[in-house]
Amino acid sequence: MPPFRDDQIFIIAPGSQTTLAQLGLPESFTPARYRMRSRMFPAEKEGEYEAVKIRRKQRAEPSAQPQHQDGAISNGGVHEQGQEPEWEEDRVSEEGAIWPVRHGRVVDWTCFYALMEHVYNTVNPPFHTPILLISEPAWTLKDHERVTQFFFEKFKVPAFGVMDSAMATTYAYGIPTATVVDVGLHKADVTCVTDFLLHDVGRSLAVPGCGGEAMTERLVELLSARKGFTKDVCEQLKKSSICEILPSDTDTPDDEPASAGGAANPAAAASTGADGAAVGSRKSSVVDLPRGPGPGTDVGEEKKLEDDEGVLDIASIVTGGNMSEYLAQKEREKQEKAVAKQQKKASDAQQQAAARPARLPNAKRTRNTFIYEDFALLDAMKNVGMNSQGMADMQSALEEGPNKRQKTPEPQSAISDKPADAGLDGVVDRGPSGGFRREIEVGPERFQAASRGILDTLADAIHRTVQSCSDVNKRSDLWDNMIIIGNGSKVRGFKEALLDTLNKKYMISPSSATIFTSELPSNLSTPMATGANTPQPQLPGQMAPHHSGVNQLLLHATTAQNPQLHPQSSSILGQPHHSAHHAHSSHAQTPTSIKLAKIPDYFPEWKEVGYDEASFLGAQVAARVLFVMDGGVSNGYMTRTGYNEQGPGGIHECVL
Amino acid sequence: MASAMPPTQAPANAEYAGDEINALVLDSGSYTTRAGFAGEDTPKSVVPTSYGSLPSGERLFGENAIHLPRPDMEIRNPYNSDGIVEDWDTAARLWEYSITSRFTGAKQTPPTRNGLNDGTGAKDENGDVEMEMEQAEDQQEQPLAEFPLLMSEAPWNPTKAREKTMEIAMEEWGVPAFFLAKTGQLAAYSQGKATALVVDVGHQNTSVTALWEGMVLRKSIFHTHLAGSWLNSQIRAMFATLSPPVPLVPHYMVQFKQPVDANTPSAATYATFSKPPTASFRQLEEDRVLKSFKESVVQAWQGPGRLDSPSTNNAINNSSAGYTNVDYAKGLPPKPFEMPDGWNSVFGIERFKVAEGLFDHRAAYPTPAQPELKGESTLPSLLSRSLQACDVETRAPLLNNVILTGAGSLIEKLPERLQSDLQTMFPNPKVRVLANSSAPERKFGSWVGGSVLGSLGTFHQMWVSRQEYSEFGAGIVEKRCK
Repeated sequence: MPPFRDDQIFIIAPGSQTTLAQLGLPESFTPARYRMRSRMFPAEKEGEYEAVKIRRKQRAEPSAQPQHQDGAISNGGVHEQGQEPEWEEDRVSEEGAIWPVRHGRVVDWTCFYALMEHVYNTVNPPFHTPILLISEPAWTLKDHERVTQFFFEKFKVPAFGVMDSAMATTYAYGIPTATVVDVGLHKADVTCVTDFLLHDVGRSLAVPGCGGEAMTERLVELLSARKGFTKDVCEQLKKSSICEILPSDTDTPDDEPASAGGAANPAAAASTGADGAAVGSRKSSVVDLPRGPGPGTDVGEEKKLEDDEGVLDIASIVTGGNMSEYLAQKEREKQEKAVAKQQKKASDAQQQAAARPARLPNAKRTRNTFIYEDFALLDAMKNVGMNSQGMADMQSALEEGPNKRQKTPEPQSAISDKPADAGLDGVVDRGPSGGFRREIEVGPERFQAASRGILDTLADAIHRTVQSCSDVNKRSDLWDNMIIIGNGSKVRGFKEALLDTLNKKYMISPSSATIFTSELPSNLSTPMATGANTPQPQLPGQMAPHHSGVNQLLLHATTAQNPQLHPQSSSILGQPHHSAHHAHSSHAQTPTSIKLAKIPDYFPEWKEVGYDEASFLGAQVAARVLFVMDGGVSNGYMTRTGYNEQGPGGIHECVL
Repeated sequence: MASAMPPTQAPANAEYAGDEINALVLDSGSYTTRAGFAGEDTPKSVVPTSYGSLPSGERLFGENAIHLPRPDMEIRNPYNSDGIVEDWDTAARLWEYSITSRFTGAKQTPPTRNGLNDGTGAKDENGDVEMEMEQAEDQQEQPLAEFPLLMSEAPWNPTKAREKTMEIAMEEWGVPAFFLAKTGQLAAYSQGKATALVVDVGHQNTSVTALWEGMVLRKSIFHTHLAGSWLNSQIRAMFATLSPPVPLVPHYMVQFKQPVDANTPSAATYATFSKPPTASFRQLEEDRVLKSFKESVVQAWQGPGRLDSPSTNNAINNSSAGYTNVDYAKGLPPKPFEMPDGWNSVFGIERFKVAEGLFDHRAAYPTPAQPELKGESTLPSLLSRSLQACDVETRAPLLNNVILTGAGSLIEKLPERLQSDLQTMFPNPKVRVLANSSAPERKFGSWVGGSVLGSLGTFHQMWVSRQEYSEFGAGIVEKRCK
């Protein structure tokens, strides 16, 4: 009888921005039931924290899926809103919030404990509940001890385990050897795991400047010349479907003809591509599923309408400042996609009007393909600036920005807008003030979120990490099993672009010089040398330098630098050759191929939302294995008794 | 809601498993600094000893920081070419970083930690971080006060440096107990040997240390610069001798590469820098490429004989006069290597030649820094000198326990060659070269030995305690840590 049951296990995965939690392991694993912003607000009394402002997202069944799709890039905040109007007060800004986890490290322990307590109280597990905590790779041993002590002494848990998030990820993928690249908010971690063994040596911890935040900041910087692009706006831009990262050679979309862009970046094309395709993809990614019955059809129709004729109208409306009509339409739309399209057209219209130099090429491209172009836009910008929720501010802000086509909602419409949005989209932007939907046109900057070396830095860290894996023979396996997870990697095209960067910078192509030399067949039985000292080929499977069977011309060609070889090669069959001491293992240099690992899609719920939080899935798998099936035999967690005997330091004895 | 328990109230050690001491082991080399808790099998923290130095005086530690191209960052190393610490201040910070970054947490680090966060820290959370730091200072002035510390040192470390090390540990870090052990000694312990002749091929230096029943024989200690870094210079020299010379372009210079035919110029697109990184940075990054080259291409001629001595490999070829090992090696399939910029070729005899200098001084490529190598600095002669310095009766047991360790010894076939050369030099006693087949064990040999030593129950009497230090001063290190 296992010491714990499935429904008793409590998993917490704290992150810089979002903390995931779930009580109990369902029959089929689902994405985390609780997503909370990883922040607390200082209470009046020093050292105490309130969670009131935390938007708690109780995802009931339906809402679970949508979350990931949307929120993925961004965060948990996105979902929440849809749920309950009562939480209105939550929509207060997050100003003043304390985020206890930064750069993968706990920077404020008191606050972190308060957060854990809040999570615990929210989930409210029954008494006999073991906890599995997913730790950030950057946590120090001391940190592990601290949390161990905290959980045992605060919650009196019967058992507690800490699992490294990279390790958890490999559990989710079910592959023993992998390179886990976890792109988070401020940083990325790169970890080599071989045979389920995590390599601490050479691991890249918390590589700074490689997370989602860096991309947001880059957007802010790029768009700093334009009004209205606050960090918040850029954050949403980053999460939106128009923000994409293109492979390095298509870096400058301005110059690229659309066709080239499309060809070079199929992934991007797929996501933003042809109308029909785009509708589908957008919908699934952007629209919240919970909305249920209507979304697909409604949206599609509406889009068409707009596409056909509405676009120009809207553009003119927008430019003319007639917001109310637009709003009415907009409510119907709900589709970012639709908006995007409109935008595109709107911008075309605008181009003619404004004749901005930058636009022209866009327009051309638009005609060519529907791809990168001008989706200018970023709709659904509900909040301008977190601080000022005031609508007045927003309106004024809206009016300031000449570039954007905004529909400035009147207050009333805004109000009505909001619930509608919430209901439909289920997307809650963190900007609680809600309701305002504005469209902003964005130029090619939107493709440059990662343009300041983020990919290069990350690729370099990956290369460095894999190359310092001490298990040399595993390196090519590591390259063939790349896992890129983390919400920071949700930006469209990020994974593809990262792979592309790796390919272009580090891939070892089969050298033309090695084609023959490294693959010599050994047809002759190995002639043994006479002397006792002569080493024998050490490893099975390695090639002896026998030339027989090789095309002589090729051999000559490849050994041209070594004149001595020629006489030998001419007498190949007649004489025994030098025995091959040095068996020649083909190409020791890696990578010769780079591939993403495939995750088994056993879990439909996960499949729908994507695997960016696969470490949580892995935690579920591991929790079942460790707490239930294995029952503590392999010491995968620490029991209360163990804690009493060994103290917090004993946590290091527990594997994982 | 508040108050979680103060995290600092760790249960006293005595409460739990009282007799167990969790010692930290710090094995600092000129290439990497290894740290970890005694009893584990690999160091959990391995940080490069090279650090980045900004014009502001800020020092950047850790892989993440030093491999990031910045226009004004100089790469420096606190060690001198002899493997002795030169820049004590930096070395202390670095050692501290290696421990705090993975074990005890940055929280306990003194304010100088700024440099440790790679400069990007705390952008948007200044408030928190600062608070945190103040708190940290209040709580603990001394970062490593919790654990006894076992450190390694180069066997030829001068007294002054040893005392200084102890001073740092005791006064800056406040360690409760301290011990200093020689790397050779530790590497022998890692193999469970108390009597051994340890050959430690490191980055800046290769050292030979004889250990007799646990005691280091001081007269036997010799070192030479023929080690990893020297091999790099050999490879560079070899690249230059080929025609056309092999371009060595580090990764950061390349935006992306394209496959090209062997020996044809690279078709890569290069990265552009408004202000290129410094030469020292380039050197560091080039060394990364060379490391890869050493891993996948370089190989020592495994003997018997030298590379240029007549081949004994098979009867037929023996008969033809002048057939040497070189000729034989040329017949072996060459190994390909591709540079970061896509240039690629195969290396045949060259891959043997670059390592040959370790054994045969005449075979070394002349380098600008060192046109000619002295015969006494090769590995075999180093061993021989070391043996000559030992008593006659110890030589046989020592030769029977030659331990080869250090990351530099991972060059393919190097153990075989050493065995072969020693056998030739000392035909009588049985020569046995022990080289652990596991790469991490050899790379971190002295750390592993420290881990073994630190977790031995009997070792507890050997620690120099804080109290003893305050009583006798730093000079005690000479008496206790022999």
